[in-house]
Amino acid sequence: MRKLYVWDPLVRAFHWALVAGLILNMFVTNPGKTAHRWLGYGVLTLIALRLVWGLIGPKFARFRSFPPDPAAALDHAREIVTGRVHPHEGHSPLGALMVYNLLASCLIIGLTGWMLTTLTWFGVEWVEDLHKAFVTWVQLCAVLHIAAVIFESRRLRVNLPKSMVTGYKTLP
Amino acid sequence: MTRPDRKSLTLFGLILFQAFCLAFFLFDVIEDFAGLYDASVPYGHFLPEAGATLGMAIGLAFETRYLIRLLRKQAHMERGLGVAAGELATLMEDYFRKWGLTAAEADVAAFTIKGYSITEIAGLRGSAEATVKTHLNAIYRKSGAQGRGQLVSVLIEDLMRAPLVSGEKPMGQGALAEGAGAKG
Repeated sequence: MRKLYVWDPLVRAFHWALVAGLILNMFVTNPGKTAHRWLGYGVLTLIALRLVWGLIGPKFARFRSFPPDPAAALDHAREIVTGRVHPHEGHSPLGALMVYNLLASCLIIGLTGWMLTTLTWFGVEWVEDLHKAFVTWVQLCAVLHIAAVIFESRRLRVNLPKSMVTGYKTLP
Repeated sequence: MTRPDRKSLTLFGLILFQAFCLAFFLFDVIEDFAGLYDASVPYGHFLPEAGATLGMAIGLAFETRYLIRLLRKQAHMERGLGVAAGELATLMEDYFRKWGLTAAEADVAAFTIKGYSITEIAGLRGSAEATVKTHLNAIYRKSGAQGRGQLVSVLIEDLMRAPLVSGEKPMGQGALAEGAGAKG
């Protein structure tokens, strides 16, 4: 067993703040209202911070340590389908794809949301549709993300949710 | 780890793209489903759409199943080269399925056939040696083979009966032998 510090405070704060922001704007605030708008700006700021942190942050926060790599993702998938167990220190390759997917999707939701507040785009149907469609997509992906975290925690015998709270991964 | 070929990469990309599309169709169908009650959406609109979405979901499921098989086969071929490797891997997969091995057991069986020791297999799979031994017991019980030697000879026997580079699968030995007029 070895304990490895992988998620710095900013990465963890970003993760849970994003969760809170998304839940509030999906289920609590009303679209078009001030609270919804400001939370949206908040989420956009969070993503901007994370993007910068991905360039200058510590090792496991950097994009360079988890590049979007389809070949590595397939290696990861091959491990799953053959029952081989080699836990990753930072983001797993399939997990990394989900990170980029969620970052991009949330960015699109934020941008289309902002567009709807401007005179030019207010009430434009395709912008609204895009905003809604990506909210649904992010909801589906969040469910998939949680399922995958539970599945991987059991498969690898590494408590992944705990590591996103404490910052430490306990690897076998 | 082997670099995946173009085929599995393309398939992987296709699956991701279709999952994305399916999510949107599904969203649409669910919204329309609500519209059936107040008759704002006619059945003539809903049913074909729901059918098409279902068709897409089924296609996606088959593609995923195919990718899983492809990945397993690649994983078992890892260090194999040459003409016989592909044929042997196909043959192994067929037998593993016939014996009803689990994914983990099939992986251990493939390593065993290639001559890796229990310690080596445990290292390659990131599992304990005791686990590998449990898998081996299950493999021998399900296949009826007495040990590693017999496991290998089952495959070799089949390979010798069939031409190496042919489209034909050398499974179902009896049928193949009869078809070739070898028995009789």
